[in-house]
Amino acid sequence: MIISQTSGVPIYQQIADSFRADILEGKLKEGEYLPSIRGLARDLKISVITTMKAYEMLDQEGLVTAVQGKGYVVNSQDGNMLKEQHMRKVEEGLMQAIQSARIAGLSENELIETLKLLLTLKEN
Amino acid sequence: MEFTSVIHGEGIVKKYKGFELNIPTLDVPQGFATALIGENGAGKSTLLDILAGIRLDYQGSLKFFGKYDDNDRENNPDVKNAIGYEGTGNYYLPMWTLKQGREVQKLLFKNFDENKYIELCRQLAVPEEDSKKITDLSDGNHMKIKLAGVLSRETDLLILDEPASPLDPLMRDKLCDMIREYLQKDEGNKSVLFSTHNIADMESVTDYAIIVENGNIVEQGFVEDLKEKYVVVKGEKEDEEAARKVLYSVSSGNYGFEGVCLAERLNELAGLKTVVETATLSQICVAIMKQNSKLYGVK
Repeated sequence: MIISQTSGVPIYQQIADSFRADILEGKLKEGEYLPSIRGLARDLKISVITTMKAYEMLDQEGLVTAVQGKGYVVNSQDGNMLKEQHMRKVEEGLMQAIQSARIAGLSENELIETLKLLLTLKEN
Repeated sequence: MEFTSVIHGEGIVKKYKGFELNIPTLDVPQGFATALIGENGAGKSTLLDILAGIRLDYQGSLKFFGKYDDNDRENNPDVKNAIGYEGTGNYYLPMWTLKQGREVQKLLFKNFDENKYIELCRQLAVPEEDSKKITDLSDGNHMKIKLAGVLSRETDLLILDEPASPLDPLMRDKLCDMIREYLQKDEGNKSVLFSTHNIADMESVTDYAIIVENGNIVEQGFVEDLKEKYVVVKGEKEDEEAARKVLYSVSSGNYGFEGVCLAERLNELAGLKTVVETATLSQICVAIMKQNSKLYGVK
C-alpha cells in the first residue's frame, strides 16, 4: 500500500480506498481479517486514529464488520452490492467527464458522440 | 468518538503564586497516544507530575485504568508498576556511571528487563561504555537512557514529559516508531500520554490532543475529529478584513492571507474568494494557542 502525505487526499481515505479496491476485486475474501489497527499504523508509520477512521469508513459502507476483540472481518460481497459499488465508480467518472465537457463548452450530443467513439475504440 | 479512559480526573487544582492549574475533568483515552500541548508555563509538566505521582500536593481525584485511585497508584505495587514515567529532571545521581544507572533500575523496578534495556540503548545509539558518567552524556543521550529505562519495564501506561525535545530528527522518528510499537503490543490496552512542543514531528503518532493554556484545557479531541472541526482558509488580500472576523490566527502577506477557521463558520465566508484546506495538527494547535495565550491577549 502506498500512502502519500502530499497528495491532498486524506490518509484515512487512501487506506480505505486501497482496502475497498482489494475487497471489490476479490483479493481480500469473505471471512478474512484486515490487519490489526495498531499493527497497520505501525507499518505505515501513521497514527492509530487515522487507521481506525479508515476501517470505520469501510464498516459504514458495509464492506467489513467490527468483531469485538478480533478486529475487522471482510463481509460477503453479494452481487448486487458489488454492482452498486462499481456503478458508483462509473457515475463518479461520468460526472467528471460531464463537468470537463461543460468547461470545454461541449454540447450534450458532442459528449455522447465522444463516449460512443471511445467505446468502439476500446472494443477494437 | 466514545472511548474508555485510562486516566480520568476530576477537579484537579494546583495553585502556585500567580498560576493556577484548574482542570474540572480530564480524560485520557485508553489504547491511544495522547499529546499534551501548550506553551511554556501552561501547566503541562505540573499536570503530568500530578498524574505520575511525582507531585502529591494537589486537590481533586484521579482514576487509573478505570478502577484504581491515586492512593492505589502510590500503595498498590501492581498499579505503580503498570505506569512508566519519564520526566525532564535529572533523576540519576551525577556521579553514577551508565552501569550504575542500569543496576539501580534493576533494584527499583521488579519488572525491569535488563537485556531489553541494553538492546534499546544499542538501538538508540547510546555510547556503550559502562564506565561513562551519566552527567557526561549529551542531553540527547540522557533522554535516550531515560526512554530506554521506561520502555524496558512491562507497563500499560507511559507518561512522558517532553521526550522529543532533546532528540535529533532521526531519533524523533525512532521515538515515534517506539511509541507505535508499544501501542501495538497489546492491541488496545496500552496507552501513552506525552507532552511536546514538537507538534509537527510527533503528529504522525498523535491520536488524541489535549491543548492546555494558562492552567486550563482549552481544546481536546481525536486528531481526525479536530481536523474536521478546524480548517485552513487562504484568500486574497482584498478579502482579509472581512475574513478576519471569522478566523483564528491570521497571518497576512502582500499577496494574501491564511488563517484557521471553525468548519461550521465557513458559510460566513461565502462570497469571498477563498481556498479551504485540511489543517495540520500544528496549525490547529498554534491557532488555538494564539487565541488563548497571554502573549496575544486573552479574548
